Amino acid sequence: LYMLVSCTAVPVNDLLDRASQRSDKLHSLSTSLTHELDSHFPPIGRMIMPRPSMCHTSSLQTPTDKEQALRVSESDLLSLARSLLQAWVDPLLLLSSSANSLPHPAHNSIYRKIQELQEYSKSLGDGLDILSGKMGPSSQYISLLPFRGSNDIGQDKTSRLVNFQFLLSCFRRDSHKIDSFLKVLRCRAAKMRPEMC
Amino acid sequence: SVYGVLLFLCLLDVYKISGHFGPPGKPKLTSCRSPEKETFTCWWEPGSDGGLPTTYALYYRKENSDAVYECPDYHTAGENSCFFNKNDTSIWVNYNITVVATNALGSNFSDPVDVDVVYIVQPHTPENVTVTVMEDKDGPFLRVSWEPPRKADTRSGWITLIYELRVKLEGEEEWEEHRAGQQKMFNIFSLRSGGMYLVQVRCKPDHGFWSEWSSTTYIKVPDYFPRETSVWIL
Repeated sequence: LYMLVSCTAVPVNDLLDRASQRSDKLHSLSTSLTHELDSHFPPIGRMIMPRPSMCHTSSLQTPTDKEQALRVSESDLLSLARSLLQAWVDPLLLLSSSANSLPHPAHNSIYRKIQELQEYSKSLGDGLDILSGKMGPSSQYISLLPFRGSNDIGQDKTSRLVNFQFLLSCFRRDSHKIDSFLKVLRCRAAKMRPEMC
Repeated sequence: SVYGVLLFLCLLDVYKISGHFGPPGKPKLTSCRSPEKETFTCWWEPGSDGGLPTTYALYYRKENSDAVYECPDYHTAGENSCFFNKNDTSIWVNYNITVVATNALGSNFSDPVDVDVVYIVQPHTPENVTVTVMEDKDGPFLRVSWEPPRKADTRSGWITLIYELRVKLEGEEEWEEHRAGQQKMFNIFSLRSGGMYLVQVRCKPDHGFWSEWSSTTYIKVPDYFPRETSVWIL
């Protein structure tokens, strides 16, 4: 048994390859969830939805174009990805506990996808922990981005849908950032196998 | 010339009454696309011009700011478009965009559109698509290879592309599609002896839209005896 569980060291480029497969899936799932919710979204919802600057992660400084992103060091890119992922542990719990009673015809499917989001985030987080252990101390730094939303997604039908969709839209943007940072890292690590990029 | 202006204004009133002239119709923002996650372009369709010379202006406001800017470049991407170069393009930021049509009798606004550049990426078509006839023990096969569109920076990982190709025999209706993933090469087997094949390739970023198909590459498979047939004859 010990033989089976003992791990051989996986090279960093393989770890990054696996991580970016997870982050890719994470973002695709959040996109499909956003579209699913959009299909039954109250028209007033679009007017009252908070602006993206209200996302609890918006205070984190991240690059805003290619030139900036490619200047960021490897360990800082990993630190950004881990900070963002960490910031979503609590809000994903809220989404998960609210999905089942969401006033939406597809709430069962939405609930299942949120659970998938949680599973992918968890396994991606574990993978990034291992990576940060191999990539030097500054990659282990995590910016704290506390989620100040309550434990309740809202009282009436409209505000439940709006708050749910707002959180998802924040997650969608953040998962795109995580995915982009990891794919840049993957290509930097893939010098031996340039066909990956 | 004062009389001229007066005459023109009178005529304008006459035409207004008879319904020939009016303020411009509502313009419509039709799409915004970025070929490489570094620049982007928005296009619009004019409404009616109200029978008068009408000008169009595109205004945008970025999330987190109240400042309104006018389109930086109306020329690069052709008529009824606005091009945002690298310096004017940020990602993970919403652009709220509106087009305003104006003529002598008034203005009209398009419905505003919210755009985050990361969600509108549509690359150019793959380049240097080449098809060659190769041969192994089972007979000839086609090797299709290509390069990513020049503008897409796949090397740094800034953009990740996957590819799809389609093939058909000349004269046939249906294309046969193949997914190549991130590979830039694909082999096609079980060809018809002497057949003329048409091959096209397209690409898609990890999260975005398919490019157009590349222009058709033609390749003729040489005449050969399929192995099974020759065995049967023997």
